[in-house]
Amino acid sequence: MDEVVVEYIRRTVLKIPRDEIMAVLQKWGFLSEAQLQTINFRQTKESISHSVAQLCEESSANIKQAALLDIIYNHIYPNKRAWSVYHMNKTGEETDFFDFRDFKKKFRRQIQSALINVTINFREYEDNAIWIRIAWGTPYTKPNQYKTSYVVYHSQTPYVFISASTLRSNLPLLCQAMVVASNYYNIREMELRSHCLNSLKDIVFKRYSQNFQTNYPLQERNVLTENEDLRINDENRSEKERIHRLNQECFGDGPQPKLDFAQYKLETMFKSDPKWDVLEKKEPFRCLVKFSSPHLLESLKSLAPAGLADAPLSPLLTCIPQKARNYFKIREKKSLHPGSFVSP
Amino acid sequence: MEEGRNSGEKETALGGRSLTATSQDGGGQISVVSLAQGKVEGGKVYSGDGVLGYLEMLEAQAHELGLKQEEKEQQEKKLNRLKAKVQELRTRRDELRAKVELQEKRLLDKEGVVTDPARPSAQTVLEWKVKSIKAMLQVFYLTGISGKLTKQGVCFCISTAYEGTYLDSYYVDLLIKPEVKIQRHSVPIFIPLEQIAKKYLQTDIRRFLSILSDHLNAYVGRRHQADQLEEHFSDRIEGTLQRNSLCNLLVFNYTVSSDNKTFPFNVRLLYGDLCCSLPTEAIISCTPGTLPLLARMAAAHSNTFRQMALHKAFDSVINAKESQH
Repeated sequence: MDEVVVEYIRRTVLKIPRDEIMAVLQKWGFLSEAQLQTINFRQTKESISHSVAQLCEESSANIKQAALLDIIYNHIYPNKRAWSVYHMNKTGEETDFFDFRDFKKKFRRQIQSALINVTINFREYEDNAIWIRIAWGTPYTKPNQYKTSYVVYHSQTPYVFISASTLRSNLPLLCQAMVVASNYYNIREMELRSHCLNSLKDIVFKRYSQNFQTNYPLQERNVLTENEDLRINDENRSEKERIHRLNQECFGDGPQPKLDFAQYKLETMFKSDPKWDVLEKKEPFRCLVKFSSPHLLESLKSLAPAGLADAPLSPLLTCIPQKARNYFKIREKKSLHPGSFVSP
Repeated sequence: MEEGRNSGEKETALGGRSLTATSQDGGGQISVVSLAQGKVEGGKVYSGDGVLGYLEMLEAQAHELGLKQEEKEQQEKKLNRLKAKVQELRTRRDELRAKVELQEKRLLDKEGVVTDPARPSAQTVLEWKVKSIKAMLQVFYLTGISGKLTKQGVCFCISTAYEGTYLDSYYVDLLIKPEVKIQRHSVPIFIPLEQIAKKYLQTDIRRFLSILSDHLNAYVGRRHQADQLEEHFSDRIEGTLQRNSLCNLLVFNYTVSSDNKTFPFNVRLLYGDLCCSLPTEAIISCTPGTLPLLARMAAAHSNTFRQMALHKAFDSVINAKESQH
């Protein structure tokens, strides 16, 4: 057991960028300052990881500490994983006294009643975020520490953030355990996925900047401060200001949540001039449009000011944060989505 | 004076000279008389007489002179600094005076030759109006609920406070047509906004706002108390304070000592009423729980927690127990 644990710790350390290994190990707190001082952090990462492994072996690290290091690593670098958002429903309206100890007990019991070979670890952070790490085994094998799922949950909220990575077959069990432990009724997956966990939180908790109009504190009128070079005349100033104003109304002032893509699945009829007689069969035209970007919403926000699109942008694009989804299915219902093609 | 005293202490160790001679005058002149005096006194202290004793005494005097010189230099420096500051303040005052005169002159020029002090200019009236409106808006904001009409409805701002400290502000943007609906808001996700809106938004907006404001103020109050407890009393709490998003369940441990024995107490505070910032239940358990004294203390502590703000209650609970022995 020890060698497995130590090797796991070593591999976790290898994932960390060299300059940050010291800080992460300090946060972990398992190795003392004196021990950390003995490591030469200017070696290659491979050598550093071996030094750390050696120290951990001498200090008899167990699986709980190794799991904790993994949680800390994933908490500092959450964007390495792909996260999905799940929504839970409640039936009653009673006040819920969320008791963390109670939650942990119930969660563990639910999972272990179905599958005993799991490693479950919890860690609570200051913003009331509970991180749960589950390493899955099978009914006949011990938990594989490299096959982990992560759950991030803020107490007394209906949203759960899950990064399942491998072994999606355990998802139903995981979801069930969440529902029971948090005193909710049911759970469903939302159409919202991204690598940036904090942005997902911003979207569902509505923490991104929204333009609220108030009388106080007095808001200064946002004048477009261009280069005050009087020799330059802006012929399109009014148009620029119109675009700017529309953009502000759609996207607000502050930074946008970070999403990787938006996917639109179209199941609409191809509309063309009847005399052209394209597509004799009256079937919906199936098409998938996917917008990818390192920062999708910021790039959408800069489309109109850059002159690449007309303002205001299509509500299909601007509704992403409000509707909290980046997977869309557009069907023929005219009342919901006016998804008509312009014929070529 | 402090410098004089310090060197004075040194002197008493060496030769027992009087303090007043050194501190008052910056001259640092030591008369021959006092030197002679010192010699005699020096002779008293030093057992070695003759040349050696005399040499020691001279050395001591030189040292003392050095100290006095240093002190004098420091005082001079201080004096120079203060003089410079006075000069600077004087020039500043002159500048400001000149500015004020210029302003007055300009005002007079604007109004023309005839200046009627009883009739203020249109400019000042406008400025006063703007100022009073700004102050009015601030007052509305400080009352807790303020709003602004928008194109499609109203945007309300609920600002929260707890015992005199202003805390966060939350916004609710309402649409009025075709029916009253929340367009968007910045209320935290764990506040039961949908429930409150379902009950009151359509029928009685005032009640909706008032209840929402109660929820928010109570939440912010509970959170503030928990934060204060952690900030000021983390050393008196064993482990960490367990809380949740709504701060409606707080659990922590502390120790109570009696008769030179310490007993661990565990507190569970339940805030059943989400509109209230005091707990509805305070369950205190201690191990071992058999002593009647402990039971009495637990009951007393429970009462304190239920009646006072958490950090104040904890303060009185710890201090009360210390006075018991």
